[in-house]
Amino acid sequence: MPGQSRSISSRFTLIIMVVSAAALVLACSAFIVYDQLSVRDSIVRDLSAQAQIVGANSAAALTFNDPKAAANTLAALRGFPGVISAGILTPDGQVFAQYRRTGVTEVLDLPSLGPTQEETYSFHEGDVLLVRRIELQGKPIGSVYIRNDLEELHSRLQHYALIALVVLLVSLVAALLLSAALGRSLAGPIVKLAETAGVISREKNYSVRAEVASGFNETDVLVRAFNDMLEQIQRRDAELLKGQGELEQRVEDRTRQLIAANRELEAFSYSVSHDLRGPLETINGFTYMFLHDFGAKLDPAGKDFIQHIRSAAVRMGDLIDDLLKLSQVSSGTMHQEHVDLSAIARSIAQELQSHDQQRKVQFVIPESLVAEGDSRLLRIAMENLMRNAWKYTSKHATARIEFGYDAVRGSYYIRDDGAGFNQANAERLFQPFQRLHSLAEFPGTGVGLATVQRVVHRHGGRIWAEGAVEKGATFYFTLNSESSTELRQPA
Amino acid sequence: MGLAHVCANRLRAYPPSLLCACILAALMLAPAAGAQPASHPTEYQVEAAYLFNFGKFVTWPPDVSSKRKSFDLCVLGPDPFGPVLVQTISGETLNGQPVITKHIASAAESAGCAIVFISSSEGRRLNVLLPALAKQHILTVSDIPHFVDRGGEIGFVVEGGHVHFEVNQSAAEEAGLSLSSELLKVAITVRKANPKGGR
Repeated sequence: MPGQSRSISSRFTLIIMVVSAAALVLACSAFIVYDQLSVRDSIVRDLSAQAQIVGANSAAALTFNDPKAAANTLAALRGFPGVISAGILTPDGQVFAQYRRTGVTEVLDLPSLGPTQEETYSFHEGDVLLVRRIELQGKPIGSVYIRNDLEELHSRLQHYALIALVVLLVSLVAALLLSAALGRSLAGPIVKLAETAGVISREKNYSVRAEVASGFNETDVLVRAFNDMLEQIQRRDAELLKGQGELEQRVEDRTRQLIAANRELEAFSYSVSHDLRGPLETINGFTYMFLHDFGAKLDPAGKDFIQHIRSAAVRMGDLIDDLLKLSQVSSGTMHQEHVDLSAIARSIAQELQSHDQQRKVQFVIPESLVAEGDSRLLRIAMENLMRNAWKYTSKHATARIEFGYDAVRGSYYIRDDGAGFNQANAERLFQPFQRLHSLAEFPGTGVGLATVQRVVHRHGGRIWAEGAVEKGATFYFTLNSESSTELRQPA
Repeated sequence: MGLAHVCANRLRAYPPSLLCACILAALMLAPAAGAQPASHPTEYQVEAAYLFNFGKFVTWPPDVSSKRKSFDLCVLGPDPFGPVLVQTISGETLNGQPVITKHIASAAESAGCAIVFISSSEGRRLNVLLPALAKQHILTVSDIPHFVDRGGEIGFVVEGGHVHFEVNQSAAEEAGLSLSSELLKVAITVRKANPKGGR
């Protein structure tokens, strides 16, 4: 488990263990070092005392040149098992008498005493060597050395190291048990808090509360603050939910109102158009019969008047038809399907050509251009745009009408090389009953492009025109049926 | 020097039988002796040093030692040491007292002496000398053979070219002197009972 994701209580335990281990190791080391130093001191003290005794007891032997007596004195050191060897030297450094523990052979390099020095000692790897002056009546008469092993020092070191190790292990086990218990009491609330936070973020349930202890330490404060935050979130959530509900309600109300108003409007325009047809049919029928029955009796001026009435009636019929179409385009459900725009364009072109075979118009239509949308509506749009192109090229001897897809603009287009228009008035083109040309120049109701725009908008697309006077016109439109926005019909 | 010299010195004090032994020893050891360093001490040099060093291992009665102004080494009779003794003790002190030498002819002159070396020529007078000296708490030393048997306190013995000494502890005790155990340890013989007819 990486250190980062260790639980807080195990980290607490680890810290306690490390701290107590470090403290114990330090304390034990200090104790062992102190003990070793004091044992060394006591060894040196003992050796010094032994050297003093040996020295005092060999003064006469040295004075009266009796190595045997000196050797006897030295032999008493047999009682000290730590003594490896000892000896008495004459003032000029010659060995006077010697004692060696059985089995010891040695070559000694004795430290020399200074003129005012009474005693000196040196520690080596396995032994300590002490040299002491022997004096008689204040005068140096020789020196004594004792070489002692450090067995005591080493065995004490081993014993204490072993004891320290045992103490360390026992203490660590105790620290482990204690800190586990303490850690639980310290980390418990935090762990519970973390669990609660996990549950809340997993289940998004802000009504859960962390368990509150009655204390006033940092963890308790943390838990209380956490609970306060949860309460605030919950309150805000409720407010948000309420606001959202109100908003949705309002949107629904507005939509319902809008749909109702729209229906009324459609019904109104439909009934108006429909009701207008009745009188118009009467005018049409009776003027026809009038001209048929009484035409011979009329002078040319009278005939002309009747003719004017008739053509006005026809135009009004067209106008009513177009208005009905516009209202049809606005209402009704849309179907999403693959629509072959090329095929539609071709059939319209054929129809136009067959009506007026005198005109020389070149149609450019790609093999297969397919769009997503409602085929009925798209057909109405294409028909309007192509009829427009046909109409506005009628003054030219030859014309070219092109349907295609502009990959750069991401839009379909229908282009002609006809009368064109002033680009400044481009916006007005799509408003109903707005016409840029006089009726005498080009006949029309001024509803066609408004109808096209309605279709494009219903497909979530955009339409715009580019052109110049006598330089032709291009109508671009996009179909974005994916994001098409339709008023939702209430069920 | 060495052994040959020691023998030459000894000729004055020892009977002819010793002479032969000395000559024999000298002949046998001559090459070795010749190879020894010139500073090897002579027998009298050793004895002079010992004489002085005895003072360090003997304790006199406090009233005697406290009255002394100097530590007197006296030679009774002809001085066998020559200049050696003076050389040995020159500048030395014992228990803070300067060590000096004196030459005396009789026990009557021995007042103030701490140690009296009885010359070998005085062997016949020992019966008289020793009790008189003992009364004055004087340590008696001599190289007269069997000196300690005759009531003397410390007697030099030369054995194998080495100077040793014998101690008569009871004689010393009678004189009020105490000999350190160290000294007794080093002595080749320690006499504790009075010799018969010692006085």
